[in-house]
Amino acid sequence: MLSFLYARQSGLDDPVRLRRAESTRRVLSLKLNHNRDVDRIHGNGINTLDIEVIDGRYMLSGGSDGVIVIYDLENNSKKPQYTCKAICTVGRSSRHVHKFSVETVQWYPHDTGMFVSSSFDKTMKVWDTETLKPAEEFQFDGNVYCHHMSPVARRHSLVAGVFSDQTKPSACELVNVSLTGHRGEILSVRWSPRYDHILATASTDSRVRIWDVRRASGSLFTLDQHNGDKSKVSSEAVNTAHNGRVNGLCFTADGLHLLSTGTDDRMRLWNSGTGENTLVNYGKVVNESRKGLKFTVSRGCSPEFVFVPCGSSVAVYGLHSGELITMLRGHYNNVDCCEFHPDYQELYSGGKDCNILAWVPVLRQPGIEDDETNSKRGGTQAAINPAFEDAWSSDED
Amino acid sequence: MNRKRALIADTFCLTKRRRCAADSVTGDSQADGAADIRSSLKYLVTLFSRKLFNDSLPPVVLKHQLYSLHNDKTAVDKQVNELRENGELLMFQLGFDSEAFALVFAEDYRAKVLQGEAGRGTLGTVEKFLAKLIPSCSDLSFNKEKMLKEFLFTDSEITQLVKSGVLTVRDAGSWWLSIPNSGKFIKYFIKGRKAVLGMVKKSKYGEILKTELEGRRTTSQVKFQMKYHIHDIIGAELVECIQTTSGTLLRHVDGNVN
Repeated sequence: MLSFLYARQSGLDDPVRLRRAESTRRVLSLKLNHNRDVDRIHGNGINTLDIEVIDGRYMLSGGSDGVIVIYDLENNSKKPQYTCKAICTVGRSSRHVHKFSVETVQWYPHDTGMFVSSSFDKTMKVWDTETLKPAEEFQFDGNVYCHHMSPVARRHSLVAGVFSDQTKPSACELVNVSLTGHRGEILSVRWSPRYDHILATASTDSRVRIWDVRRASGSLFTLDQHNGDKSKVSSEAVNTAHNGRVNGLCFTADGLHLLSTGTDDRMRLWNSGTGENTLVNYGKVVNESRKGLKFTVSRGCSPEFVFVPCGSSVAVYGLHSGELITMLRGHYNNVDCCEFHPDYQELYSGGKDCNILAWVPVLRQPGIEDDETNSKRGGTQAAINPAFEDAWSSDED
Repeated sequence: MNRKRALIADTFCLTKRRRCAADSVTGDSQADGAADIRSSLKYLVTLFSRKLFNDSLPPVVLKHQLYSLHNDKTAVDKQVNELRENGELLMFQLGFDSEAFALVFAEDYRAKVLQGEAGRGTLGTVEKFLAKLIPSCSDLSFNKEKMLKEFLFTDSEITQLVKSGVLTVRDAGSWWLSIPNSGKFIKYFIKGRKAVLGMVKKSKYGEILKTELEGRRTTSQVKFQMKYHIHDIIGAELVECIQTTSGTLLRHVDGNVN
């Protein structure tokens, strides 16, 4: 670490490199922190989490009981022990609450005045954060599995939603645009963070398609796990992304690569420009989810990490090397979603056990000399927990 | 500025290597540094029991057995593909699992196939096919146009190839490349795998030390060497491999528990 600092100071290295090295070091030391808690409001499993991109301060969560909660993640108290309080809730008592499970929530990408939620009660609602009332409501014919708003779009504000009973993703704002091509239910949809007109969808017919919304005539291309090598598969399985249902999609932060997970227990990394399978082998990524899986990629580290919920723990893989770095264990039941906070390199994960756990980088303990000076000055940080201070041994040893 | 640029990942030593005394004694501990796939393949070939098939089958190794010897799966895949492109290694799709691929050294394959064909009428066609296949082609399956146009085989010749076991029917108009007489191999392999997994599952707590499993007496179901099966179940991730102070522990993986 000192070498990075020295290189930055003397100008040998880019400032970005030091930042990346520190981010990587922090991600590698993620641990469940007993000092950081998230308020437990949900009475049922948590399906989705989203942290707003502007400040990284507010987090939305949607649960299986239709409840939506907003948390404040910032630690304004001077103490290390901190509980992320829920600021406001759209609870069961609210008139506008979703009747069934909320599958996806997302902040409006440009400010926190608005957020969109979609649920199994066949509606997608656009909420006003101040009043917590829906400003707009879209009705669909089937359960909405997933929706996504483009994080970089300036020229359009389309929300892409996918729902059952129909095999086409719809991009809806005021105009309902349908994109056809899939033969099975679509479980996940994502906009590219690089181009505001590129959309990726994943479906139960084992295919992942990339669309350009400006054309709306057909998909641009389908991702093929064998890269066109027809010799490796049986003839029905040609042109599929996975050997089972594809239920999770995630673009990397720069939009150049796309990750997909499927029920064949595999995760694949694709080049999003050409649709080529980069053939990075992550091994067996246990995946039994019947609906969409929400996973995330770190931002600002080198190399990037993928955080995938695997059963009741979160697996951390190196993005391009495919090796398993660690498994984050702490949940009591299946983990459904996880979200990475890029500024503090923290991971929040929510699951069926109604808990949101915060994984915080473990800071280096201060050295012994610092402890003594602290206690002499009567510093504010208690280095020893008062419960462990021994009150029975004498000083005259 | 001639300073060598190191990767940030190397500074943080992403993989911790804990040395296990019990494993390093036996000598087949995981290889650090440059992975030498060819030597691992040669080692796995020695585990294959030739006598079982009366020497009619070339030594077959499964691709995922290599994953149990080397850490980096992507690098293993890349090196295997390189060897295939050089024409040293042949890869076959076995029927029972879409992810299980068998690897055979090209010279072994050629020798055994010709040995099996000696004295039969199909020898000439098979030789012609092998001559076309081995130096350049690295496909797993062939379809009709390829056989007719690229390789210039006639229909009757294709029938002869299927009869001799070098090709197996996949569906109408396409064929998998296959190893002759490999049916017995697959049958014994699947039975043996099931028996070894059963041994792990029936142990107390569903886990067993690798060295103890190697020493156990095998039932009549298990025809191959124990180590061959152990590499297979570790590489296919059918058991979880945990490093302990007494060596590697293999724990039975139940689908739901994690």
